[in-house]
Amino acid sequence: MPDDLDAAGAAAILSLVDSRFPGGGHAHSGGLEEAAARGLVTDPQTLAGFLRGRLHTAGALAAVFAAAAAHTARNLLSPPAASRADTNGVGEAEFARATGNGHGSTGRRQWTALDAELDARTPSPAQRAASRAQGSGMARAGRSAWPSPVLDGLLAATPRPHQPVLLGALAGIAGASPTQAALAALYLAVSGPASASTRLLGLDPFEVNAAVVALSAPMSEIAAHAAQTCHLRPADLPAPSAPALDLMAEAHDRTHRMEVRLFAS
Amino acid sequence: MKARARLVVERDSGGASVVRELRSMSPLTLLPCPPSLHDGDPDTALVHLAGSAATPLGGDVLDLAIVVGPGARLRLVGVGATLALPGQHPGPSTMSVTIEVGAAGSLEYLTEPTIVVSAADHHADLRADLAADARLRCREVVVLGRSGERPGAFHSETRLRRDGTTLLRQRLDLGGALDATPTHLAGHPVIATELLVWGADPAEAAVGDWWSLVPLAHGGSLATVLAEDTITAYRRLDTATAAHPGLAEPAAAVPVSG
Repeated sequence: MPDDLDAAGAAAILSLVDSRFPGGGHAHSGGLEEAAARGLVTDPQTLAGFLRGRLHTAGALAAVFAAAAAHTARNLLSPPAASRADTNGVGEAEFARATGNGHGSTGRRQWTALDAELDARTPSPAQRAASRAQGSGMARAGRSAWPSPVLDGLLAATPRPHQPVLLGALAGIAGASPTQAALAALYLAVSGPASASTRLLGLDPFEVNAAVVALSAPMSEIAAHAAQTCHLRPADLPAPSAPALDLMAEAHDRTHRMEVRLFAS
Repeated sequence: MKARARLVVERDSGGASVVRELRSMSPLTLLPCPPSLHDGDPDTALVHLAGSAATPLGGDVLDLAIVVGPGARLRLVGVGATLALPGQHPGPSTMSVTIEVGAAGSLEYLTEPTIVVSAADHHADLRADLAADARLRCREVVVLGRSGERPGAFHSETRLRRDGTTLLRQRLDLGGALDATPTHLAGHPVIATELLVWGADPAEAAVGDWWSLVPLAHGGSLATVLAEDTITAYRRLDTATAAHPGLAEPAAAVPVSG
């Protein structure tokens, strides 16, 4: 399938990464609040390191699953050309096997597998909870913006989906490519903490914005890699991880329950 | 250098765990310890894994297969630290460990630290497949660089499955510019992990100063520690695993700092 940006797909991507998007992402700092509380991020330089590290780990993982989910959604909407062109029924059987369901498939098995494999790549319960909270928020907004039986199928299989899976599915439903879905996931992985840093540390918004823009090159590189793996079986998808981020997520969750914090994660 | 070692432990009719197959290949030397010589549980087989001092080097491919049969129990303990070194041959050094534990079997795989010296490029691959009620305790400690040296690269891939379900899949890429970032290692040169599929899982996460013990989504748990040195790493790992309800040691309430 061509990776060209069609108008509907482009609009969807812009909307999904817009801070105005009513998905509840503003309640999460992606670990920045804890890093700031520990004095690990104090200025634009240390913020840049945080964002770079997050992009290559949590961001790359989100990109992998967003791309895979976009690929899955697109296949469910329109089965691969080879299958459709085949009129003797073999193609349909192949597609049914590939999707784990027959025609009119809701993709239950793929969504459940993506969900479980992302769980396995997210050892921190606090991060799993934050991902599902943001996925659910995004689902509410997505249902009214891009109603689709594919989205209904996803939410029937996983009522509280992980954010990257839901994001990728919405992007795919709206016509965006796996690369674009991955790019959206990567952008959100750093834009959330970046905007949190202006609120938590009072950093200069111009410098913060420059730090995000400085990541453009690795962002497109990681998105391209994620798109290359989008057709793999969920069990074979890559699993980049960030040990310090995982530890800080748990510590933040603990503190959040005991005292007031600005962000849920 | 290519080396393949294999260890198979089965339960005999008397309930004792016996080594059925043992194939060492330098530098992977497997040394069974007769029950009369160890003070642990006589029904648990004890085997030591000794490496040789100057391995693995770049280009080395080492494979270790561990099979624990139904009902059998094995404790495989590392002897001495491993130094991952650069080599004269091209390519990274690779250590692949494949683990299979059958129904009601158990494996404790407790290695000593791997020290990734300057200019090394080491890949560590762990694949573990457990039967539904099998137990696994698997510890890994990685030290990035000898004192004051810039470390080589360390990449690891961990795949833990139980009864066909993925419990944990994790890739670590260490020894690069990202180590210092607050998200990666936050400047710590030592990372230690312990995988625990060992009876009851912790009901919730236990957290302290740069350590955590977390229940995984589909069963099992993972302790993760970052530290300035190995002594601190082991201390934190002990604190983290002490919070595990499934381990035999009494799980006293763990004080939480930080």
